[in-house]
Amino acid sequence: MKRNKGMIILFLTPAVLMFSVIFLYPIVRTVIMSFFKIDGITDPVSKWQFTGLANFTKLANTSLFRISMWNLLRIWFIGGIVVMSLALLFAVIITSGIRFKSFFRAVIYLPNIVSAVALATMWLQYVYSPKFGLLKTVFSGLGLDSLAKVQWLDNDHKFAALLLAYCFGMVGYHMLIFASGIERISSDYFEAATLDGANKLNQFRYITMPLLKGVFKTNITMWSVTSVGFFVWSQLFSTVTADTQTITPMVYMYMQIFGAGNSVTERNSGLGAAIGVLLSVCVVAIFWVCNHLLKDDDLEF
Amino acid sequence: MKKKVMALVLASAMAVSLTACGGGGSQTAETTAGGAAPAQTTAAPAGGGAQAEAPAGDGGSLVYWSMWEATEPQGKAIQAAVDQFTADTGISVDLQFKGRTGIREGLQPALDAGTNIDLFDEDIDRVNTTWGQYLMDLEELSKAVDYEATANAGLIAACREVGGGTLKSIPYQPNVFAFFYNQAIFDEAQITSVPTTWAELDAACAKIKEKGYTPITCDDAYITCMFGYHMSRLVGEPKTEEIVKGGQWDDPSVMATAQAYADFASKGYFSDTIASNVWPAGQNQELAMGTAAMYLNGSWLPNEVKDMAGDDFVWGCFSYPTVEGGTDGVDAANYGAQVLAINKDSKNAENAFKLICYITQGEYDKMLSELSIGIPADSNNTEWPALISCVKPVMDSMTTRYPWAAGAEANADMTPIIKENFLKLCGGSIDAQGFVDALKKAGN
Repeated sequence: MKRNKGMIILFLTPAVLMFSVIFLYPIVRTVIMSFFKIDGITDPVSKWQFTGLANFTKLANTSLFRISMWNLLRIWFIGGIVVMSLALLFAVIITSGIRFKSFFRAVIYLPNIVSAVALATMWLQYVYSPKFGLLKTVFSGLGLDSLAKVQWLDNDHKFAALLLAYCFGMVGYHMLIFASGIERISSDYFEAATLDGANKLNQFRYITMPLLKGVFKTNITMWSVTSVGFFVWSQLFSTVTADTQTITPMVYMYMQIFGAGNSVTERNSGLGAAIGVLLSVCVVAIFWVCNHLLKDDDLEF
Repeated sequence: MKKKVMALVLASAMAVSLTACGGGGSQTAETTAGGAAPAQTTAAPAGGGAQAEAPAGDGGSLVYWSMWEATEPQGKAIQAAVDQFTADTGISVDLQFKGRTGIREGLQPALDAGTNIDLFDEDIDRVNTTWGQYLMDLEELSKAVDYEATANAGLIAACREVGGGTLKSIPYQPNVFAFFYNQAIFDEAQITSVPTTWAELDAACAKIKEKGYTPITCDDAYITCMFGYHMSRLVGEPKTEEIVKGGQWDDPSVMATAQAYADFASKGYFSDTIASNVWPAGQNQELAMGTAAMYLNGSWLPNEVKDMAGDDFVWGCFSYPTVEGGTDGVDAANYGAQVLAINKDSKNAENAFKLICYITQGEYDKMLSELSIGIPADSNNTEWPALISCVKPVMDSMTTRYPWAAGAEANADMTPIIKENFLKLCGGSIDAQGFVDALKKAGN
């Protein structure tokens, strides 16, 4: 095939243009903004005040931001382990040839479709309610009175309540990704292994897991990206003003850019940009580590 | 040869159409550029607004961005006012219901991008402080129609104060933040007059508790207001703000406030679930249901819970009591309003002001107050909705204005921490010293 330089450039130009304008420009602009103090996010550049690394040092010194990063770490790590384990478990069960596979798959995925607002309202006002909630009635019914008395939405338990509600909704999504990864593995390998005398556990450990490396990378990256953007659930669990147990960097960023819920507070979009930069660096770092730990270039099946 | 020509023509047609698309896209990208990475939520209203040019009627057109949703009672009343305005004057109005987040996130970017917006509305503090630079001076327009003759003097004064001495916004739907209570419980506990001092409140709570009711309840959304009000009663609001912003938690007023509330908590005056009440649990399940007596809330409360409280619920209202040794009296509270303001670049200022008069005066102001069970702005509308008639004496007695939460939420970095610890204090899991220590520790 002849290579026609002119054609290549002609076809690439629109895509490159759109990419630079819609992706590259905002990224560059945000990084630049993180070195300034900016009041309104659309202020003209003349109104920006150069502050160098002050935004970053301020973040490091603000206890509320540190709390939000700590919350994020816990959500990512603990939530990640819980969700990935459950998702993997369900995926293995679903692909092991049970009956009503589509039904179970649909049911497990259903919470993911329902709006976060509806889900959170159900959890907050019904499941966790200390007066007539689901948990309270179930525990009282089982006679576990000390558990029934637990106030799931007070400060000590709120984080766990939030994480539980969130993970409940996220398992289905990751389960589907795992299931598709498992289904890609040819059943010949499993048959051969069964013939050679391997039990299900060994098959899982030696065949399924290694061949799922790529899928693990995908899932961990997807999980990291959604965790870093954890916003809606935080807002729902703490209504108008943020809560120390549910605040995440994204919520803090929103407060900095658009002002607090009720009062008129000082805004600094440069600080918000700095948070954005930090979060992006985190995700890139996780992705890089994942890529190095889970090498699947040598896999072919 | 023909194929080559065809291919080139098609390719250039595609490129041209894509660049045009990209051109339009880059315009939206321009306005959303600053917000692209951080703002997950839609800054799209900015781009959408740029295209929303009102169709020119006989007498001109106006563009009005409203903070309400079309389905809310306020939205309906405003729509009715706008329709009547158009019928009477022939000026067409492009009324866009942006909702709270639409205005809070999208108004400033839209104004910066030069979108044609003539008037908008939002909370009095946000309009005058955050967006003060975009407002038109309304002194002349207001004098021309003698607007102040029928407006609430206190509110207009507040608008002037917050506008830096000049009138830059017109208030409507005033509200006041005070203690709301269940009159039936007060009657049963034989409380004949509302508490005006902290000691009287203490006594009233004791009587209510004896009758088996919860004296005071609250939700996480409003808990900081109790802290702010108490502090402001002690040392005044400017000092409270100074303390909160400057992290001066060693100030004796902080400890005094904490001790007062710890005292109430130990006497069992707060709801059992106050520490875990996620709004609207406290107001819906406790106050409206009749198990709790008092709640420091806003005059929108009766409207919010009217379906749950039922028709027999009689509301009472009193201002936050004075505290011994404090500076402020019961005539100070957070009262405010939504306000309408005109874009300083608007070419239709007179028409816009006419529309403002339609909405905030006479028949439609009455409709707004009836539909939303709120307070009328026009002093000619002397009849308040029955449900909030108890608020009138409180509102009329106000002389000093606190901003939201009386300064307690002035520092965004500390608000969640104050909230967390004050909830624990009221729930009894920490004591006054614990509260102050927690604030000091978190104060960076």
